[in-house]
Amino acid sequence: MNRRDFMKDLALGGVVLRFGPSLLAQAGSQPDMAMVTGESPAAITTAALAVLGGMKRFIAKGDKVMIKPNIGWDRTPELAATTNPEVIKTLVELCLDAGAKEVTVMDNTTNQAQRCYARSGIAEAAKAGGAKVPFVNEYHLKKMALGGEWLKEWEVFTDFVEADKLINVPIAKHHSLSRLTMGMKNWLGAIGGARNQLHQKLDEAMVDLAAFFKPQLTVLDAYRVLTRNGPQGGRTSDAKLQKTVIASIDPVATDTAGAGFFDIRPEELVYLGIAARRGLGQTDLEKLNIEKRTV
Amino acid sequence: MKKERSKKYRALQLIRILSQTAFFGLFFYFLLRTHFTGEDYIGRVEVFFHFDPLLAITTAIASRVLFASFILAAVTIVVTLVAGRFVCGWVCPLGSVHQFFSHIFKKAKLLKPRKEDKSRSRLAWKYLILIAVLVASLFAVDLVGFADPLSFLYRSFATAVVPVLARVGAAFTGLLYGLKIPSFGDAAAQFFGTLSLNQTYQQGFFLGLLFLGVVLLNISKERFWCRYLCPAGALLGILARWNVPKVRIDMEKCIECNLCTLHCQTQANPFPNEEWRSSECVYCYTCAAICPTKAVRFPVKATPEKIESINLSRRKLILTSALAVVAAPFFKITPAAKRAAARLIRPPGALPEPRFLQKCVKCGECMKACPTNALQPALDEAGPEGIWTPVLKPRIGYCEYYCSLCTQVCPTGAIKELTIEEKIKVKIGSAWVNKSRCIPYVLGSPCIVCEEHCPTSPKAIKLVRTEVQLIDGTVQTPLAPVIDLDLCIGCGICENKCPVVDDPAIFCTSVGETRSEKNRLLLDIIKPETQPGEPSDPYR
Repeated sequence: MNRRDFMKDLALGGVVLRFGPSLLAQAGSQPDMAMVTGESPAAITTAALAVLGGMKRFIAKGDKVMIKPNIGWDRTPELAATTNPEVIKTLVELCLDAGAKEVTVMDNTTNQAQRCYARSGIAEAAKAGGAKVPFVNEYHLKKMALGGEWLKEWEVFTDFVEADKLINVPIAKHHSLSRLTMGMKNWLGAIGGARNQLHQKLDEAMVDLAAFFKPQLTVLDAYRVLTRNGPQGGRTSDAKLQKTVIASIDPVATDTAGAGFFDIRPEELVYLGIAARRGLGQTDLEKLNIEKRTV
Repeated sequence: MKKERSKKYRALQLIRILSQTAFFGLFFYFLLRTHFTGEDYIGRVEVFFHFDPLLAITTAIASRVLFASFILAAVTIVVTLVAGRFVCGWVCPLGSVHQFFSHIFKKAKLLKPRKEDKSRSRLAWKYLILIAVLVASLFAVDLVGFADPLSFLYRSFATAVVPVLARVGAAFTGLLYGLKIPSFGDAAAQFFGTLSLNQTYQQGFFLGLLFLGVVLLNISKERFWCRYLCPAGALLGILARWNVPKVRIDMEKCIECNLCTLHCQTQANPFPNEEWRSSECVYCYTCAAICPTKAVRFPVKATPEKIESINLSRRKLILTSALAVVAAPFFKITPAAKRAAARLIRPPGALPEPRFLQKCVKCGECMKACPTNALQPALDEAGPEGIWTPVLKPRIGYCEYYCSLCTQVCPTGAIKELTIEEKIKVKIGSAWVNKSRCIPYVLGSPCIVCEEHCPTSPKAIKLVRTEVQLIDGTVQTPLAPVIDLDLCIGCGICENKCPVVDDPAIFCTSVGETRSEKNRLLLDIIKPETQPGEPSDPYR
């Protein structure tokens, strides 16, 4: 990124911050959210990005891109505990095609990292797409001021902060505390420290983390969703095929739309309410320009 | 007489050093490879152990069962019968470690070979150790793990040397970041991450000290362990009856300088020739290479001849056997066998406790393989016989659901080899909630961390709304964990991840373990009826 680009970004960023995502939602003809359904995870991902105006809308030439899937568990893709590897691979390829200099895919896993990376199929797929797939490195942990309402500071993997562009690629899953885990909950995989202690105020922590990380793009993998025994599942019968991805510039709207795959109204998700109150995004989908497609 | 050393034997000596380096390298490579490499099945990384006839014989006697993989020990036996203790001198990785350090200590002038110690009594120690181990195994007490060279080496490396390497690696990585060369730091961090070296072992410090002590014994005598202590070497010494290559001293060339005997690594006494101890010679060729007049040679002679071996007095033999007979019950004076120990959680696939103790050789393969560092060398958990046998410590690590590495690498079958599909059905214990420490039960606030991590489906940890009275008298109804003991496999991830870190509010004990018929919670006959293969599932 050269200085001129930086100045442009800075100016644009100022405008975006000033007028908020709602303005961005109405600006131009490009949709704010794409919901694409189809047989192939790769095809629906490609189509979703095409609907949003192509990856070039988000990625500038020479960008260092960080893609954050959910690789938390030692589970195969069929069990819907981890992000679909084809979705990740497609996004990697799209980023590189859009001129990204480097694409990294990583997550702070719960089970042994080597196992999660292998069994989820994500390491292999992302490498095949051309990404770097390192394990999280404790030397990159840095205690940072998060400026949250509840989480004032926490240890963060700086990789997620230093990347030029950040793409969040969660999978939609049942969770017994936050009810559902999608995009905002996914940021627990970008931090270190005693993550298990965040559960005492999980909804607040999720919102604080989402406010801190601010991805350029969120792609919710709902090819398979986990309907029970979350967030790990374990039997194929715990998963349900929805064959959909939702891609959006609004991280709150993605999670709101994702609730539709479950018998849960968005109002029941406490963290969405907090996020909307804090102006992190839109929970009223009526106000967004959403394009649905089937491929 | 023209003084000139033999080039041929110098070359043979170098080839021997190459062979030792190669086999030690192989041993170390297999050790480093004993972890999750990306595949569920790891291959025979424990193969070294199967060439060890001492382990083959003692575990077969102690457990009254032959373990098929030990067929490879026949190779070692045949080689030794024909050619003598080549394996000690050319292959054994612990022998190589001792020889290496003996060499270093000699160069450092810490070890000075003195005029040959005429007393042979110390050479007999190892035979007495061997007899003690064998007699004990007759009484179904497996002591071989304490003394076997491969068990000793592997255990020391797994629980002390590798953790030290890992920590040095981490310090080195930190240094690279400190020097502001993060790209090198990243490379180092990823490299050590890929090796997944376990860093934590209870008793690791003492096991390391023991190893260090045994290495330092080489200051006293070259290859002290091999000369005086090694029961496997003793067994091969007994087998070495034929010794096709025999040491011969050409008396016309010999100047009787005694260098050969002085520098003999194992006190095999090549000079005077008729006093050569074929049972002690490990064919290192030091004598032939050091001889200033090329007088020492190893011609191939197929004919058997009178063999000078170690004289074990009948009195000592009887005394040792008697001691071993006493030792067997001595190792059993423990309440360990009386009732199952709560915290004695064995790896999945472990045989029932008495059978397990007869077979486990305390080698530490399973501890090296364990991806979460959960398997630890026992101290008092399993009685004296069970010292250094593997015990799962959920506070250090937990049993990874889809992992059966420990069952695959056990060299003796003390842990039965399991496929992943078989392994996930094995219960190694049961989890219990300590309601006086659990966050929802005590503070009334949400937590669910144990439930979230529970790997079974349906989950063995259920969340139930529970009324909790707080200190201000108000009542909260948080979701609190309750265990379904039918579904719980005792993996320990709940205990490991519990946010009440010092003394977790959920913990695992061994009760209900599949391997035991006694350590039961409920008899099957009084359990509520469920359809076969249909665990109780509130979602259905």
